Amino acid sequence: MIRIKTLFRPLASLKLTIICLACAMVLVFVGTLDQVHIGIYEAQNRYFKSFALFLPIPGTRFAVPWFPGGYVVGGVLLLNLIAAHLARFKFSWKKLGIVVLHAGLILMLVGQLITSIFQVESQMRLDEGERKNFSESPYFDELAITDKSQPDRDRIISIPDSDLRKGRTIQVPGTDFKVVVNDFYPNSALVNPGRLPSPAYPHLKLGPMAVAVQIPKTYKQDERNVATAAVTLLDKDQPAGSWSVSSGFPQPVNFQVGGKPFQIALQPQRYYQPFSLQLLKFRHDRYAGTDIAKNFSSQVRLVDPARKEDRELSIYMNHPLRYAGLTFYQAGYDNNDRTTILQVVQNPGRLVPYISCGLLVAGLLLQFGMHLFRFARKMQGASASAS
Amino acid sequence: MIKKAAPWIFVLLVAGWLASKMMPEKPAPQGFNFVEFGKLPVLVGGRVMPMDSVARISLSLMNHHGAYEPVPHKPVPPVAWLVNVMMRPEEADQARVFEIVNPELLDLLGGSDRQDKLFAFNLFSFNEFKPFLSEIEKQAQAAEQTDAQTRNAFQREIIKLRNALLLYLRLKNSLQPEGSPDFKEEIDAFAQAVPTGMQAIQDRDAGKPFDQAAFERILQFTQRYQNLAQARYVYAFPDPAAPDATGRWQHVGEALLGTIRTRRVEPAVGFYATLISAYRQGDAAGFNAAVSNYQNYLRRTVPGELNRPDLEAWFNHAAPFLQAMVLYVLVFICAVLSWLFWPRTLARVAGWLLLLAFVLHTGGLITRMYLQGRPPVTNLYSSAIFVGWGAVLLCLFLERIYRNGIGNVCAATAGFVTLLIAYNLQLDGDTLEMLRAVLDTNVWLATHVVVVALGYSSTFLAGLLGVIYVIRRLFVRSFTPELSRSLGRMIYGIVCFATLFSLVGTILGGIWADQSWGRFWGWDPKENGALLIVLWNAIILHARWGGYVKERGIALMAVFGNIITSLSWFGTNMLGVGLHSYGFMDQAFNVLIGFIAGQLVLIGIGLLPVASRGPKRPVAPLEQAGQLTK
Repeated sequence: MIRIKTLFRPLASLKLTIICLACAMVLVFVGTLDQVHIGIYEAQNRYFKSFALFLPIPGTRFAVPWFPGGYVVGGVLLLNLIAAHLARFKFSWKKLGIVVLHAGLILMLVGQLITSIFQVESQMRLDEGERKNFSESPYFDELAITDKSQPDRDRIISIPDSDLRKGRTIQVPGTDFKVVVNDFYPNSALVNPGRLPSPAYPHLKLGPMAVAVQIPKTYKQDERNVATAAVTLLDKDQPAGSWSVSSGFPQPVNFQVGGKPFQIALQPQRYYQPFSLQLLKFRHDRYAGTDIAKNFSSQVRLVDPARKEDRELSIYMNHPLRYAGLTFYQAGYDNNDRTTILQVVQNPGRLVPYISCGLLVAGLLLQFGMHLFRFARKMQGASASAS
Repeated sequence: MIKKAAPWIFVLLVAGWLASKMMPEKPAPQGFNFVEFGKLPVLVGGRVMPMDSVARISLSLMNHHGAYEPVPHKPVPPVAWLVNVMMRPEEADQARVFEIVNPELLDLLGGSDRQDKLFAFNLFSFNEFKPFLSEIEKQAQAAEQTDAQTRNAFQREIIKLRNALLLYLRLKNSLQPEGSPDFKEEIDAFAQAVPTGMQAIQDRDAGKPFDQAAFERILQFTQRYQNLAQARYVYAFPDPAAPDATGRWQHVGEALLGTIRTRRVEPAVGFYATLISAYRQGDAAGFNAAVSNYQNYLRRTVPGELNRPDLEAWFNHAAPFLQAMVLYVLVFICAVLSWLFWPRTLARVAGWLLLLAFVLHTGGLITRMYLQGRPPVTNLYSSAIFVGWGAVLLCLFLERIYRNGIGNVCAATAGFVTLLIAYNLQLDGDTLEMLRAVLDTNVWLATHVVVVALGYSSTFLAGLLGVIYVIRRLFVRSFTPELSRSLGRMIYGIVCFATLFSLVGTILGGIWADQSWGRFWGWDPKENGALLIVLWNAIILHARWGGYVKERGIALMAVFGNIITSLSWFGTNMLGVGLHSYGFMDQAFNVLIGFIAGQLVLIGIGLLPVASRGPKRPVAPLEQAGQLTK
């Protein structure tokens, strides 16, 4: 019994709260500064969606943790909050605001955890007239093997790029295939073979006019890593073919196994949906006499055979489409205003921040409102007694 | 009697002086009526503004003062300079309006030969640039190859100079093709050439014999006016027949080429041509008559486009924020002096002057909102004005509650400093610029942005009170325990407000982000900056509730809050990443570093023990952790 208490008291202490908040400030500050070098996405992974910040030891492959990451700070703060409420707060009307406020905070931390685990962000690029039933990851690639033997539908099996590592052999799920990764470049540049410094310079051949050479990974916001892999496919442990594929080289490779047609490609990771969107018209309005964008809007057609939906709608700034648990936002444009880029977000915890925010604000207003009221009464009393 | 009336007389004198400065301008009885010309509406950067604003904005992009001073302390009205640029370019080319501050750039342009020019040796005229134009273009193009964030000072300055020169060339070609000896004669000749020329073109296309001379003449004119398309910047010519607002304003090239279609000279072109001819001949009466005729024409054809430019021209002249700055200085002097002499009289004067300043500040804010048709904060400039306004408003309440002059001093400082910041930001270009697509929603601008700005206001105000605590603590004799306690209470109260505003504002920002790009929290620098303010305010509150800090501690923590807020407000814009970045500001960076250093020094001073006189006051019992008393 005593043991639990000795453990519980420091966990519930106000000092720990302040230490956590201070750690959070350091984390946010350093994580913001580092965005200049590694971009927002990587900074999120290293600082906020991590358990610790690591400092690499020069000359070795090891790194030492030197500061708690976002998960640790947020987690400890969460435990601290809960413990504090259990240990110290007894309900009274006077403290209702504080309790509501902290309940909101707890919910918000939990919500952020849900979001950071379950949220999926992808993008859908549509040229005018084009129709798609999938969106693509802006960060990740996949090795996709497509079974083209059925006349009406393709069967696609994909392996995420995080599994692709040089020298690895991967069992392709649901088939007798195995993939041997002969080589893998996380980022590469596609060049003409004639532009190689020497014929012996390490490269992977993609076609007669294109080879891939390895380049350092990019963290810039407007650039994407182009992965390239050299793979050998084994069918029942017998080689069926060897190819080089790259996510920057859109042509899939056709091959046959046992008379059945297949395709293999390294492509941005796809998220298929049971419905499709078609871009009818993209508009990019500018203010008169300037290049300043006034509005972007995409006129799209939504077709969902399962739900018997077939309708036109428009997506523009601050006016997304919410459909089937996904939200489509107008994110960008390309190709002389003939291509739209829609941000596609799936977040099951989408409503949590709204509820927690409501609680937070209500708690704050309640607490400070009561304060102000009491203070005003006190001042009134003071001035009355003075006169 | 006199003693009682003196403060009133003083305040009335100040008010009268202000009114005289803000009265609408009267033109010189003889001479060109530049005041009325300055009100003429034109479309620039997507919005209709008066010529006066075009002149001021252009000058501020050229020399970062927004003024043209051929003789020290004798500025020429900006619009008078603009008239010269547009109508007598050969004279404007000699005006030294371009300022160069970068020493390397100065060297490139033969700066060492200019040492004889004692007055403003870093000011150049367009003519002085002429030998260097191709070099400037070459260097600017090279500089643009570098990423905007990694450019050095020279590269940024050369690009800025090239853009200023380009702007100047565009201004010269706004009303007429530059170098037209007499624009009125030119368009008369053009109007005559159109029918015969068009006939010639039709004949030629039909394979019939055609008038070669007429054909070539019309071709020459067309080419000359098509070339003007490169100079599109000021759209000065209204087209009353345009179906919607987007096409209502035309550039001179489009307006002239329209003649080929309609076979008649656009009336606005005719008015401006008369204006230019009169100006070039030195005919003031003719110039003034043409301005007045053109105004009448505008009132008949595009009445909706006149009110705002009219008001804006007056607003530029009256400069309410500048006048408010002067008043804030007076308030500060009176309020500080009131701690030393005539406490009642001076405090009363400070109070009334502060109210006057606040009225001007508010009036200016509302006028800007009307001109832009937007909530108060749309860019960094307007955020400075609004943050100051919010802080002054809070101070008015503080002063009303405590009546010890501290509210007045804080109001004066906050008002003056934020307006000074705004004044400097204003010189970066148009402050009423149109909003980019992402920001184009009045609902969120009115809620999230305003509340976050109030969060900045209150955090800064708490910090300011902390600074006052540190400074007054140095004067041991007057720093009574009561003063310490009441300052501590003030800071605590303001920190509560700051927490409320910054938390609610940050949350509203998250909701906006969720609505417009699908993530509640994206760890964007500006979001993180707001979060830092929330976290710091939360730390202050918890530290106080836990009894870890008392008055001095909370004051010093509030001073540190100044650093956090300044980083969040300006520092994040200097990172150059994320959705909220507005561009890099070099000088501002040094100022920011200086500010942070200053705050750290103040905290250091605050930590030093001060020899106390008299008995120590008994230490109040520690408050229970987590308990909210007081």
